[in-house]
Amino acid sequence: MHQLQYACPTTLNECLLLMKEAGAEAMPYAGGTDVMIHLRERASCVQNIRLLVDLAKLEPLHGIRLENGMIHLGAMTTHAEAAASVLLHEHAPFLAAAAATVGSQQIRNTGTIGGNVCNGSPAADTASPLTALYAEAVVASASGTRNVPVPKLYGRNGVELAPGELVTEFVFPSFAGWKTSFIKLGRRKALAISRMNVAAALELQDDGTISSARIAPGCVFRSPDRVHEAEELLIGKAPSRALFAEAGQLSSEEMIRRTGVRWSTAYKQPVLEALVERALLQAAGLPLEE
Amino acid sequence: MITVDFTVNGERVKLDVSESARLVDLLRETLGLTGTKEGCAVGECGACTVIVNGKAVCSCITLAAGLNGANVITIEGVSKNGELDDIQQAILDHHALQCGFCTPGIVMSAKALLDANPNPTTEEIQQAIAGNLCRCTGYQQVIDAIADAAERRAVQE
Repeated sequence: MHQLQYACPTTLNECLLLMKEAGAEAMPYAGGTDVMIHLRERASCVQNIRLLVDLAKLEPLHGIRLENGMIHLGAMTTHAEAAASVLLHEHAPFLAAAAATVGSQQIRNTGTIGGNVCNGSPAADTASPLTALYAEAVVASASGTRNVPVPKLYGRNGVELAPGELVTEFVFPSFAGWKTSFIKLGRRKALAISRMNVAAALELQDDGTISSARIAPGCVFRSPDRVHEAEELLIGKAPSRALFAEAGQLSSEEMIRRTGVRWSTAYKQPVLEALVERALLQAAGLPLEE
Repeated sequence: MITVDFTVNGERVKLDVSESARLVDLLRETLGLTGTKEGCAVGECGACTVIVNGKAVCSCITLAAGLNGANVITIEGVSKNGELDDIQQAILDHHALQCGFCTPGIVMSAKALLDANPNPTTEEIQQAIAGNLCRCTGYQQVIDAIADAAERRAVQE
């Protein structure tokens, strides 16, 4: 590894110029919960890094605010901040719920939503609700900014940003009034990485029928995505166990269509069906058990 | 090397650290504060937990270079004038340790919890120490001790 330099820019401009100069040799440093481990293990992803760019002092990357019906969530928002955010509990409760399931208190105090997404793991818990919210990542570089829907951040090898690019915030519409849920299946309750998760959101009309639906399973496709067919099935119908079971089936069929039948399919198929059904039941406020 | 200027257990510390140095090494190797233990080194076991700016964090995955202006509390900063803190005393009284390796980290997680939330529910206590692994005791005595410490603090106020 090269001799490592450390920079802690105080303005976004300064940061983007530093990153432009160092190009692929720059590594943005958010909470460090992944980067610190990679550095110590001399992992291949940090082998060519010679500059750590600490994002801690960049004001525009912090905080959560509501502006013209859109939530702006700074990339440096920690999981603990997101889990406790009054604004998120009102406008995107399943994102707060997902943030609350990440790691441990120590990890949630340090790790950030931007880092959770940009680390590029298909098991990132916050990526599922962000996908269901149709959140866009604001990607900044010295030459300007572009907005990228969260699923489109992902290439063949996880999140693929160009050298010098940085996710500064996520922007998504308020889901106040929607019924949302996040369900995570881990190997144990605490500190578990998702084996699978599902973020679901339902908008109900006055007559109780579903007018809009979002279903975004995690660890199921190559990158986070919604299951459009299952969503469309729900439109105009009243919430019921049978309907949600059918949405689960459509979701697992979509999984097999996209990823093929693998050694894990015998496990994943029934589990995904059950998780989608439960996530929808929970969102609709129906009992999970018959 | 890079200079960091921060506070450890109420004392101002200014020193040069390597760009990739971890807080746990700075505490143990440079400052001789060996009460903070290193277990897994990947942020999963919580033995190295310290409090930075009021929040419990794993010092094994905290970059020392980023600590300018920070307020760090380690297990050495918990007792006052040679007297054990309520949490430490409650852990002794409830036999909430055997080998003791995880105990400094558990005390720091408990302190961060009680400083922010003086009257936690059992579930909140469980959540607060879910990132502190103990392979000796099971966790019931630890949970009892933290609940008791909260009551002792309340009585003193």
